[in-house]
Amino acid sequence: MSALTFTPKKSVAQAIDCRLLTPDHLADLTVPQIENLRLLNTKNAPKIADCFDVSGTNAAHIVIHNTHHQLNYIGHQMTKGQITIEGNCGDFLGSQMRGGTIICHGNANDRVGDQMRRGLILIDGNAGDYCASRLVAGTIGVFGEVGKYVGFAMKRGTILLTKTPPLHATIQNCGTHTLPFLALLFTSFQVLSTRFNTLKNLSVIRFSGDLACNGNGEILICQRDISA
Amino acid sequence: MIINGIQIDDTFAEAFNMRGTRVIITAQNHKWAYHAANAMTGFATSVIGCGVEAGIERELSADETPDGRPGVSILMFAMGSKVLMQQLETRMGQCILTCPTAAAFAGIDTGADIDQISLGKHLRYFGDGYQISKLIAGKRYWRIPVMDGEFLTQETTGMVRAIGGGNFLILATSQPAALHAAETAIEAMRKVPNVIMPFPGGVVRSGSKVGSKYPKMFASTNDAFCPTLKGLVNSELSDDIESVMEIVIDGLTFEDIATSMQVGIQAICNLNKSNTEASGVKRISAGNYGGKLGPHHFKLHEIMGATP
Repeated sequence: MSALTFTPKKSVAQAIDCRLLTPDHLADLTVPQIENLRLLNTKNAPKIADCFDVSGTNAAHIVIHNTHHQLNYIGHQMTKGQITIEGNCGDFLGSQMRGGTIICHGNANDRVGDQMRRGLILIDGNAGDYCASRLVAGTIGVFGEVGKYVGFAMKRGTILLTKTPPLHATIQNCGTHTLPFLALLFTSFQVLSTRFNTLKNLSVIRFSGDLACNGNGEILICQRDISA
Repeated sequence: MIINGIQIDDTFAEAFNMRGTRVIITAQNHKWAYHAANAMTGFATSVIGCGVEAGIERELSADETPDGRPGVSILMFAMGSKVLMQQLETRMGQCILTCPTAAAFAGIDTGADIDQISLGKHLRYFGDGYQISKLIAGKRYWRIPVMDGEFLTQETTGMVRAIGGGNFLILATSQPAALHAAETAIEAMRKVPNVIMPFPGGVVRSGSKVGSKYPKMFASTNDAFCPTLKGLVNSELSDDIESVMEIVIDGLTFEDIATSMQVGIQAICNLNKSNTEASGVKRISAGNYGGKLGPHHFKLHEIMGATP
């Protein structure tokens, strides 16, 4: 079965709310049924067919091609399966996510993984402000750079970065550590074909936070260039 | 049946249903993996006095373990699931958590159709609120902060039905001959997967019978196979037998134990390949209780008949 694929139509210029494009919502639906769905539960919301070309059958793996920064709420509340974004995406990527995997091969805007509880988000490019804000748990990786206030109000969970960003006062430096669980995590990344496949070194700089919310979350700064 | 001058008795080993699990222990190097595994499987020779029977199944190279470090695979057996759970948790806490650099992983599939028992599920509370859960590739792990860094353990491991008490007896003309034959058998049997020989060095010198003349004892020395009691009791030993050693085997399946017994007995018989007197071993027998207690019977002739 081929992945269920969405390609935005070039004629659509406005922001699109993509919260419906998850394996949870689209499982067992045919392409015509999917095309006929409204993107939001409102009377005047556009149908998916108005905004996307749809093909493929396997709703457990959704691929979105030719994406742009106005595609918001991709993977919102998803609980299973995988979404692969072949480009940039908008705000609230993976917000309130409950499971599954999101791969973004471009950049993501603000509020990646907002209130996310479980699952994995890997972003090959950069992420905007408030990345992992209000994170409850789960894992978010950003290979490029992140904006301001990363991990703002996070309770638990892990944020993997490759550069130390400017951090707010309630994120605390715990020093450099070799964490054995990273061997398992990095191994699990191997099947996902992202830039995170290159990470080998289990030695990371660990920041803990957000101390305003118990501080059981962590930001791990991985080393890109040094092999294990 | 006689193989290379060694008589194989027409008898059987009687074995029992048990519950078993496997744990993979890894560490910075094999030295520390063995420290952890030896502690975990210590004082676990017999369910009679130890609660569980446990042993090292085999050494694992770095590319065979979940975290890519050198490791050791251990098997643990008990008469019931409750005891197995209690013993596993206790030993995890006292032997693996405490051992520098050690980590523990499930050695039996954690699929939905396999019974799960706690590996780090309750041990995590040692983290006093600083423990961290990670769900990686569908498996839950716990990271517990400890003084050497972080202790990593999988949440559960699988528990399966297993068999304990497969055995055979080595009857030889001297103690050194019996021990040498036993060591030879153990060396060969350690290469068989899914089995352990839980006694010291894999060998038992104090086989037991059910009951005793003393009312409070529920097991006592196997007088029929004690060489020094020849003439005093209804002995199973001929005049030329001076020493008897027993090898007890626990395994995940009947076939695993049968294969292990066949490999061990054959290794002993191979000692006599060029000279039928070379090993000093005269007979191979097996321990049973008349066949009424254990549902699994390992008939020596059937097992050795399968020898190519």
